[in-house]
Amino acid sequence: MITITLEVNDVSRRVQVEPRRLLADVLREQFGLSGVHIGCAQGACGCCTVHVEGTPRLSCLTFAVQCDGKAIKTIESVGGSKAEHMLQTAFRTEHGLQCGYCTPGFIMTLMPFVEQMTGERRMPDEAEIREAMSGNICRCTGYHGIVAAVRKAIADSLEDTERP
Amino acid sequence: MKPTAFEYHRPDTLERALSLLAQFGDDGRPIAGGQSLVPMMNLRLARPLHLVDINGLALCDIDQQDNVVRIGALVRHETHLRDPLIARHFPALVEGVRAIGHPTIRRNGTLGGSLAHCDPTAELPLLCMLHDGAIVVASSNGERRIAATDFFEGAYMTALEAGEMIVAAELPVPGGAHAGAFEEMAERKGDFAIAAAGVVLGHENGRITGAKVACSGAAQAPMRARPVEQALNGADLASPGAAAVIAGFLETMDPPGDHAASAPYRRALIGELIDRAMTKACRRALEAS
Repeated sequence: MITITLEVNDVSRRVQVEPRRLLADVLREQFGLSGVHIGCAQGACGCCTVHVEGTPRLSCLTFAVQCDGKAIKTIESVGGSKAEHMLQTAFRTEHGLQCGYCTPGFIMTLMPFVEQMTGERRMPDEAEIREAMSGNICRCTGYHGIVAAVRKAIADSLEDTERP
Repeated sequence: MKPTAFEYHRPDTLERALSLLAQFGDDGRPIAGGQSLVPMMNLRLARPLHLVDINGLALCDIDQQDNVVRIGALVRHETHLRDPLIARHFPALVEGVRAIGHPTIRRNGTLGGSLAHCDPTAELPLLCMLHDGAIVVASSNGERRIAATDFFEGAYMTALEAGEMIVAAELPVPGGAHAGAFEEMAERKGDFAIAAAGVVLGHENGRITGAKVACSGAAQAPMRARPVEQALNGADLASPGAAAVIAGFLETMDPPGDHAASAPYRRALIGELIDRAMTKACRRALEAS
């Protein structure tokens, strides 16, 4: 066992972990964050995406010991208890989810993309949006709704930041 | 499944990392981005007893000395895409790196990790071979340079010995005008490629002065298409006309047939990808001159 400190969703906590414990499992079991979903455990589906120091990272391909002292954000930190982040709202209105298993991964992967596009003040074309979400698998929606949700989130966000 | 138990080490210096790897021998593995090693561990195809986390080491630089660009083993895939030295000298590499996995993998995966993992159709082994690269490996006994053509020995097999680790790749800078292109085919965007091809052309006055062609998918490791290179030398950029030589080169191959592609399909695909990459590189060369 190794003692590490993880700052998860702005709260710092010391935990004891075996080196072989994946970050995804530690977040789910020791931090009770069941929004971190595990799909394939081999880097193909993107379900387990979290942010480590602000960067999307597959928590099933990360050992918790590697994150000692680092800041981690999970879906639980996004949009409050009613899931009201702009991207989450857009997923609801554009039918970007059905069963919801892949949704936390999609949101965590796409949030920085939406922020980047808003920062650059431009609407990406469809190919760019599909490239940005190419690491995440959804078996319900057929992806069209997710593409529409990303577009809507960027449009809303651009409109929002235009207001004085 | 979950990985088997191991001990975790995080050395601060290369010297310390190499001494740990020397001590553990075959039981030790360096870990950086973990984008290839951790899936292997999750599937229990890899069961190292010691993981040496090298993320803290100073192996993140891309710099040029004389006529060689040295890319540190810890350079993340994504970094290749915005580096001015790489953009200027190795356009085929930029195009190839864009085909690696997906954004999250490109942000975290490293050059050294991809080269050491040596998936048969991984982009970076092919690209190092295409650019006449050398792999720089270090151990507690010192450094050695291995030509990319000798380094990749087969599927998931390299010339790395126990206690050694990749510290950099070195690519010679092309002299004169040059153009490059990369093409690959995967069933889904970002999935493992079935086959891939890269082309680099030196050119002058509308003619090819030196061609490099590499492909993967035909064998357990990427290979150079030497007969195609020879046929292209001196050819007209506007009509390189290497179809017969490419067809002949494909005849020398014995590609595997599997669930992803039959052997004849794979052979035809490699020919098509070489042709597409060559055509694209020629067009780029003409546009630039």
